[in-house]
Amino acid sequence: MSLEDLKKIPYGKTAIELNNISLAFGGVKALTEVSFDVKKGEVFAIIGPNGAGKSSMLNVINGFYKPTSGTINFAGTDRSEMEPEFAAKSGIARTFQNIALFKGMSTLDNLMTGRLLKQKKNFLMQAIYFGPVAKEEEEHREKVEKVIDFLDLQSIRRTPVGSLPYGLQKRVELGRALAMEPEILLLDEPMAGMNVEEKQDMSRFVLTVNNELKTTIVLIEHDMGVVMDISDRIVVLDYGKKIGSGLPKEIRNNKAVIDAYLGVSDD
Amino acid sequence: MIYKETGQYKSSYKSDHAIFPLLQDKIAFITLMFIAFLIIPFVINSYWEKAILVPFLIFSLAAIGLNILTGYCGQVSLGTGGFMAVGAFSTYKIMTYFPDMNIMIIILISGLITAAVGIIFGLPSLRIKGFYLAVATLASQFFLVWLFNKVPWFYNYSDTGQITVSERTMFGIPVTGAEAPSYATYLFCLVLVVLLSFAAKNLIRSKMGRSWMAIRDMDIAAEIIGVPPLKTKLSAFAISSFYIGVAGALYFAVFLGAIEVTESFDIMTISFPVLFMIIIGGLGSMLGSFLGAAFVVTLPIGLKFLMVDMVGLSAVTAKHFEITIWGLLMIVFLIVEPHGLARLWSIAKEKLRRWPFPY
Repeated sequence: MSLEDLKKIPYGKTAIELNNISLAFGGVKALTEVSFDVKKGEVFAIIGPNGAGKSSMLNVINGFYKPTSGTINFAGTDRSEMEPEFAAKSGIARTFQNIALFKGMSTLDNLMTGRLLKQKKNFLMQAIYFGPVAKEEEEHREKVEKVIDFLDLQSIRRTPVGSLPYGLQKRVELGRALAMEPEILLLDEPMAGMNVEEKQDMSRFVLTVNNELKTTIVLIEHDMGVVMDISDRIVVLDYGKKIGSGLPKEIRNNKAVIDAYLGVSDD
Repeated sequence: MIYKETGQYKSSYKSDHAIFPLLQDKIAFITLMFIAFLIIPFVINSYWEKAILVPFLIFSLAAIGLNILTGYCGQVSLGTGGFMAVGAFSTYKIMTYFPDMNIMIIILISGLITAAVGIIFGLPSLRIKGFYLAVATLASQFFLVWLFNKVPWFYNYSDTGQITVSERTMFGIPVTGAEAPSYATYLFCLVLVVLLSFAAKNLIRSKMGRSWMAIRDMDIAAEIIGVPPLKTKLSAFAISSFYIGVAGALYFAVFLGAIEVTESFDIMTISFPVLFMIIIGGLGSMLGSFLGAAFVVTLPIGLKFLMVDMVGLSAVTAKHFEITIWGLLMIVFLIVEPHGLARLWSIAKEKLRRWPFPY
């Protein structure tokens, strides 16, 4: 299983399959026997009330948490856990619910960090900075500039990201993930705290990435309007358990989902 | 209007990513290099060499080293004195075993040995951060100084425990030992500092530097984008220690000539002053390393001139005042400009850019 295996999978076939994933922190069960699969090239949404285990699920997928039990079938190979670095190498990129940018660095440098795994020259050559290193640097800069153009970040190229407004920081974080040229993009509440216009922009970016780069997108989002509009399939979690999955219109009419969101009356 | 950027268009990513992208900076740098290489060597005397220029160059190098580790990679270290001692004693031992080896090579090998020691003492950094790491590096400071004191092999079983440099030449001119002319020691340090500074700057603006800064700013996110934390932190420890080791080697071989480890590489004489340099100069700034070193090296001289020569205090009283003023200045600096002299310089540039319009 590697980036090559993932690239070989035809669109519409399963890229990641999660089998009976359970995750517990001591006595707290974050996830209980959750199974679903993500097909290559789709926009897949994970929804659920607060504390349902959605972010934990993403952390399991990109190797930050090791599941207590269950297996992940990633691009045709079964495994129970993986290292974050390995996930990054295999083409998984992600953004965070609470922005996790490198605050002291400029937008450009933040995006350039997305290219780190693809830069191969050793440190002695970097120290001398002659031909090949400068050339490599330029190649990656060009890729990053494409992302900057796509996300309209030209005017803040040199600004330290710590001083940017929230909406832009979210966009820079998406940019950093895109600079990695991922096959699978995990987005943890990319539209949280945004106004309607910003949400529209962000949805447009997500859909364009999905349509044109054919990147598989796994998305956590609370705005039901956005989720129903842009996702192909949805899985619903509540208290760490899967309570429903399917197409947006199926989810909309799913009794268990409606109960989880609206609450069940006692009588 | 004095510092004008408008009209300087960049048409390639390479020129945009240059070390000195602005014409003014380039001119300033070339002028500085011209003065440093072609004028100062002819006018330098022993006082300027011993009191200002050589210590400035050596401490700049140590400050760059510590800035790589603390300013760029975010790992606080109080072990600078210990690592400089490793550089000094490596130089001494190599000199005794290989009397014919070129001094430049000896010093670079000493740097490599210090880098190896730095990696060992950097291992705890994977588990501990911040204050706790500072304490761990403090332990390395005490351990290394203790080691060089306790094991007579390091100082060749001499009675005093001192180590003394023997004369070494570059191109037939002595650069170490009592006979070395001022211009030779100065130029020797200058060449090393210029070369190593460019190497450091290049590392910082390429993959290595971005990995360090990613670890410094948000280690979890860095790990997720594929920056291995242990490897990156250890590389910062190694390269930082290399610079500090070279500085220690120069401090012993070129500057002092004879040292006693507890005195010369004490935490109060080296580790804290170098940390002050990068805090006063600016954490995570190459320019800051130089400004901080210049400030720390020249301040005592300036204060002495002011208090002894101008006001007429006795030298001892002046020395006591100096320590007090030092402490005060540190506090004032941390409150008024926590980002250091480098930030002051960038504010000044901003002002010059708009001058004479006061908005």
